[in-house]
Amino acid sequence: MPIRRSRPVAVPLLAAALLLTACGPGDDGGGGSSADGKPEGRITFQTWNLRANFKDYFDGVVRDFEQKYPDVKVKWVDQPAEHYAEKLSADAGGGTLPDVVNVSPDLSHPLARAGLLMNLDKEKAAARFKDEYTPEAWQGNVLPGLSGAYAFPWYLNTGPLFYNKALFRKAGLDPEKPPRTYDELFAAAGRLAGAPGGRAATLASAPAIEDFGRYGVRLMNDDATKFTYNEPKGVELLGRYKELYDRGGLDAQALTNTPEKAGQKFLEQKVAMNPGSAHDLETFRKNAPGLYRDLGITDAPNNTGKPNMYVMGLAVSEKSRHKAAAVAFAHFVTGRERQEEFAHKVAVFPSTRGSLQDPYWTKDDGTDAGRVRVASARMLKGAVNYTPVVMSDEMKTVLRNEVAKALQGKKSPRRALDDAAAQSNALLERG
Amino acid sequence: MSRRTHRALSPWLLLLPGLAVVAAFSLYPFLSTVHKAFTDARTLTPGRWVGLENFRALLEDEQFWVALRNSGLYVLLVVPFTVLLPLLLALLVQKRLPGVAFFRSAFYTPVVASVVVAALIWVWMLDDRGLVNGILGVLGAGPVHFLGDAWLLLLSAMALTVWKGLGYYMVIYLAALGNVPRELHEAAAVDGAGALRRFVSVTVPAVRSTMVLVGALSSVAAFKVFSEVYLMAGPTGGPAGQDTTLVMLVQRTGTGLNGRVGYASAISLVVFVITLLLMLLVLRAGREEDA
Amino acid sequence: MRRTPGWEKALRHLLMLLVLAVTVGPFLWQLSTSLKGTTEDVYTSPPRFLPAHPTTGNYAEVADIIPVWDYALNSLRVAVASVLTNLAGASMAGYALARLRFRGRAVAGLAFVLALLVPLESVIIAQFTMVRDLHLNNTLTAVVLPGSVGALNVLLMRNAFAAVPYEVEEAAVIDGANVWQRFTRIALPSVRGTLAVVAIFSFMGAWDDFLWPLIVLSDSENFTLTVGLNFLHGTFAQNPRLVAAGTVIAVAPLVVMFACLQRYFFRGVGEGAVKG
Repeated sequence: MPIRRSRPVAVPLLAAALLLTACGPGDDGGGGSSADGKPEGRITFQTWNLRANFKDYFDGVVRDFEQKYPDVKVKWVDQPAEHYAEKLSADAGGGTLPDVVNVSPDLSHPLARAGLLMNLDKEKAAARFKDEYTPEAWQGNVLPGLSGAYAFPWYLNTGPLFYNKALFRKAGLDPEKPPRTYDELFAAAGRLAGAPGGRAATLASAPAIEDFGRYGVRLMNDDATKFTYNEPKGVELLGRYKELYDRGGLDAQALTNTPEKAGQKFLEQKVAMNPGSAHDLETFRKNAPGLYRDLGITDAPNNTGKPNMYVMGLAVSEKSRHKAAAVAFAHFVTGRERQEEFAHKVAVFPSTRGSLQDPYWTKDDGTDAGRVRVASARMLKGAVNYTPVVMSDEMKTVLRNEVAKALQGKKSPRRALDDAAAQSNALLERG
Repeated sequence: MSRRTHRALSPWLLLLPGLAVVAAFSLYPFLSTVHKAFTDARTLTPGRWVGLENFRALLEDEQFWVALRNSGLYVLLVVPFTVLLPLLLALLVQKRLPGVAFFRSAFYTPVVASVVVAALIWVWMLDDRGLVNGILGVLGAGPVHFLGDAWLLLLSAMALTVWKGLGYYMVIYLAALGNVPRELHEAAAVDGAGALRRFVSVTVPAVRSTMVLVGALSSVAAFKVFSEVYLMAGPTGGPAGQDTTLVMLVQRTGTGLNGRVGYASAISLVVFVITLLLMLLVLRAGREEDA
Repeated sequence: MRRTPGWEKALRHLLMLLVLAVTVGPFLWQLSTSLKGTTEDVYTSPPRFLPAHPTTGNYAEVADIIPVWDYALNSLRVAVASVLTNLAGASMAGYALARLRFRGRAVAGLAFVLALLVPLESVIIAQFTMVRDLHLNNTLTAVVLPGSVGALNVLLMRNAFAAVPYEVEEAAVIDGANVWQRFTRIALPSVRGTLAVVAIFSFMGAWDDFLWPLIVLSDSENFTLTVGLNFLHGTFAQNPRLVAAGTVIAVAPLVVMFACLQRYFFRGVGEGAVKG
């Protein structure tokens, strides 16, 4: 996903069935080349919805790289936000996967399992760069059961919780004291829902897997073979959300809202709080000046002391015919200098060692953007990617739908989570 | 080449491009879908033969029954409107009146716009603060949470389907109405038959075969509905997945890098067989009425 | 002929205006949204139909984010190619099915009917494998290929040819004209209207297609408009004005084209091409 990790809202035509995937790697077979040699040849580099905003940056990166390695020609392609997984499936099945490809761990997992991505820990030419990245970031790309990292860590993202001070005031809450724990959050929500002169919803979305993670629920067993979010703590969180929903504390469309739609509800000042990233500030300033004046920024509540983070990486195709060039390029893009430059352009964070000690990420320069940036960068220490990499989109849908049933009162929270975990475990087993 | 072989060959030469495309890009791929339905293939693994396992799993899948219900409802609730409303519309614009040509073309606009665009517009209109609720607000009603309730969402998607189909089927009826002899109407009018009587006793019999055709086309399309619901209710199929249709289920289970291709193929096969039956049923019903 | 009474005329016009509001109104609302500036609230109640300060700024911004013109040109190429292949392929096949007697005609006809029933979304990856084997992936040719002869178009042409009185051709048969001559000189000219219908259907289909071009094309230079406009989602989705401008850009060319061709289109309809 692009900078903001969101699922598609309105999605174009028939995303349907990849029924006939050309199963498995294409017939160009065996494939691959040595990664140790001299970087040369033509390689393709694919990003995920970054062209619209960062065309000049990537053109520059490619130009610089080609100057450094005159024997390599890089073709940069960019894919739209929606249906990226379908696009990857088609290319993976057809043997046309780009040499260097932008993935998140949940995308690299199935690709790596099918033997289509290079194991960077096993490949000496790549493993030697390991120490340039923060251990958390490298670890974030290690896939369970596959012993190794399958993508160079690229940008990280985490974000604060935005809140609407005007709505807080209306409900008689102190706009300067946003909730910091889940207890405070649910207490504030009660006030917001009962506010005189138009009650407001507190949140725009039903809880997703990250929320369970932040609440301190154990999501999976240690070897990632079974979902465990139906443990008592998970049931407790869902129960509290259910109360919140019953009191009007969730947006009327909370059960169907996508992250994008949720952002829009916050923009329309229909919900009081919404998680976001520093990236959103510009949107608020431009599209909702009224909201921007009353914008509060705080850390997303969590019970674990470990905030959530999203991880992006650059993987190298195992079938690449110019592995040396591909590794060199992937490393070049994710190297400290390039990452810091990129992170200055947009509100994401570099995954290279030492980068976050830079004053840019430690010193509040007094602007809102600076404040969010510093607060988020601070959160990144110890942050984890809560979303289990083995959790496929279908399993996310299963959880989402069962959570919705619990909120609607069609099932008890316990029953809903038990069912979701059972269905997901069955999917895992068959996988 | 002798004249005889030439004559024997020419039909096939004419058919060649069309048949080649259809065979290569629809029929042959579908045959492999049929094959996959009996395997446990996944997106990146070929899978092995599992016999009827996928179909057995289908019967136990709660989502499958929800989807079957929704796709069935879609046919039941959408088809009467797509058969009748466009006919009335065609009658409305059939008469030569000033400006009628403009209206006729204008009514076709929703057909021209892609479903993606149409759905975006509708979502924008039906939003809690959208145009429709704005108008309801002026009238002192609402807001209605069209996009938050499973049934309202499904009904909204159906309305979108009907809206988009109006112009398309209207055009088909216009073609048929062109052949209804005017004298029939005139005679009936002279007999003092009211507009409703004339509609039932003159117009409907004259365009019955067209109504059957429209019925067949729109039931097949309604049963295979995907875009409208996917775009309005979201990829997960509305609250708790209650709006999922069969083709959406195909998409959900079969796509992505972890797609259960075998299972999704089995659903596709079910969809294919039901649409085939549906079409035969409608055509048969039309024929029986004729007899 | 009986004169239409005045009250009936008025009623008909009233009804037509009503339907007009329902069918075209939403597009105008979208157009209006796309012309509203960033300072104007787009969520007012009661709704404001006319932008207070109309601006084309949103269009400029869309064009700034994505190379709209390049993508529109690609779409145009694909759509025109699809129109040409469909006109040729569908009319040839339709003529053979309607006019020629040969063994296997029923089977050939059935093939097109069955193709109509195949859920397209279930075969898209097999289609991709096919064009990859032809080494056509990432080309505009590949975008055109699967829809180059639509099964529905073949059936439309078949019906149109079948509706032309046979006597017209009989004379030519006696004169010794061969199949090809009869097809091009006599049959084709008499179904001009249906050709317009097929042209419009295939243009629309090619112009609106999203998933297939996305799967086939990798290089952003080759993207078609629908794929390109998808870049508006994600980060830009929170500005409904931009999304509105994008949709207007996607629809406008089709509306214009249809407006230009509608005369031929409705004539084609009159020929009975789309009848049962």
